[in-house]
Amino acid sequence: MLFNLEISEYLKALLDTLYMTILSTVFVFIFGLILGSILYVTDKDGLWENKTIYKTLSIITSSLRSIPFLILIVLLIPFTRIIIGTILGPTAALPALIIGATPFYARLVENSLHEIGKTLQETGLSFGAKKSKVLTKIIIPEALPSLLRGITVTSIAITGYTSIAGAIGAGGLGNLAYLYGYARNKIGVTIIATLLIVLLILLIQLIGDMVVKKITIK
Amino acid sequence: MISLKNISKKYKNSGDEIALKNVSIDFKKGLIHGIIGISGAGKSTLIRLINTLETYDEGNLSVFEYTDLKKLNKESTRMLRKRIGMIFQTDHLLSRKTVLENVLLPISIQRKHTLEDINYAKDLLNEVGLKDYHNRYPSQLSGGQRQRVGIARALINRPELLICDEPTSALDVITTAQILTLIKTISKEHHIDVLIVTHDMLVIKEICDTVTVMQNGEIVESGILDDILFKAKHPQTQAFVREVGLDLSYIRKLYNSKDLLLLKFDESLVQENIIADMINILNIDISIIYANITPHRKGIMVIQAEDKQKEIIDFLKDKKVVIDYVV
Repeated sequence: MLFNLEISEYLKALLDTLYMTILSTVFVFIFGLILGSILYVTDKDGLWENKTIYKTLSIITSSLRSIPFLILIVLLIPFTRIIIGTILGPTAALPALIIGATPFYARLVENSLHEIGKTLQETGLSFGAKKSKVLTKIIIPEALPSLLRGITVTSIAITGYTSIAGAIGAGGLGNLAYLYGYARNKIGVTIIATLLIVLLILLIQLIGDMVVKKITIK
Repeated sequence: MISLKNISKKYKNSGDEIALKNVSIDFKKGLIHGIIGISGAGKSTLIRLINTLETYDEGNLSVFEYTDLKKLNKESTRMLRKRIGMIFQTDHLLSRKTVLENVLLPISIQRKHTLEDINYAKDLLNEVGLKDYHNRYPSQLSGGQRQRVGIARALINRPELLICDEPTSALDVITTAQILTLIKTISKEHHIDVLIVTHDMLVIKEICDTVTVMQNGEIVESGILDDILFKAKHPQTQAFVREVGLDLSYIRKLYNSKDLLLLKFDESLVQENIIADMINILNIDISIIYANITPHRKGIMVIQAEDKQKEIIDFLKDKKVVIDYVV
């Protein structure tokens, strides 16, 4: 018992938060990589420069990024109900988490690729390689450390988002902190939930740093 | 081998800025060609046209048997690029691949490399002096070593033409000399023609057979090295020549005399006391205004001789010294 709450309650909340964070991080990595790559290749001097596609995607990305997360969840309620079948529980939080974080990561991806592409795009093309190979075999692999640093930052942001989602019915540590600390005036629970979130974020940063260090060659 | 006829190009994005204006030149086989100019002169655009990374608005450009590069389809474009090896500044290697993997990259990006490819890559690494560096990473190498990897990589597809884009501008003077020597050796051994773009007259003086000087998107002067060095006409060319200490226009201005002779000594004359003999035998007075060792290891000297000029010229010609007036 910790502040009138079973350890198992904390554990369940932690697992819910982990579930939401990990699953959405995986999807955001995939979708963000795709969206970021399209932004990069269609931008000026890109491999498939296309002003219309770039402008359209760029505006969508920026708009999605500027919607506050809480409002995004509310806006997505009908959509969530259709594809998940409910708007409660950790799974129901996934669409909002993924749609909220993908544009953020896509911009990080776009920047990472630009940095590498500046010197290596022409190098690859001058080998007589196909554009698709230049992207997948030179630019993306070379940008990998930077892409992983980006997903670490994104994953931490997602952990933050899960707390907001938690407060309005997704479960997890955010739910715990809000439900007991705010609604039932048990501030001790909030403190422990907060500590767990902080630990989780530190852990994500640590893992991220370790992986990046491992694949970066000095 | 490469022939440009009235090539013009504008950059559409940057306010119709003219990149190349009516450029015509032939780069012949079997030589090392230098293109020199300050930033924005159009030299980078020129080589980007040759390896089809950009296209031109007007004129005709042909490389190898491809006439009019503008009309090439995708497949031929890639075929052409494979026949041209590119050497960039030193920062164009993949940091997460080993030296050997970097050299193999132009092959491995298209298909799985074979044992034969690996062996050839190793041969090339031996040739550029990196025998024991196969498994190192670029960050563990010096600038000069990285450029050697770049050279080996440019050779892996057995190119017929090597284009070097400012290959030494990130290197110190001594390393520059080594890299240039290496490029020269390789061009001879592999029978590859070389096109070097640079803003550094030392590079030109060191290895080029011909020089093309560019300014504001135009070719202002072009010819064989000796002519450019000793008979530079355009102010831009003269400015470049001055950089390497061959400022004949300055000597002309200082002395303003018709008695100045420019003597060129071949390497074979190095052991002879030609000038001392001449002074003794002809019993004359001369002033030595200037002397230097120049490209292709020739000696040059500017002398002032007021009388007996005809005898001097006959004597020197007899000794196989090449003579020009400094006018």
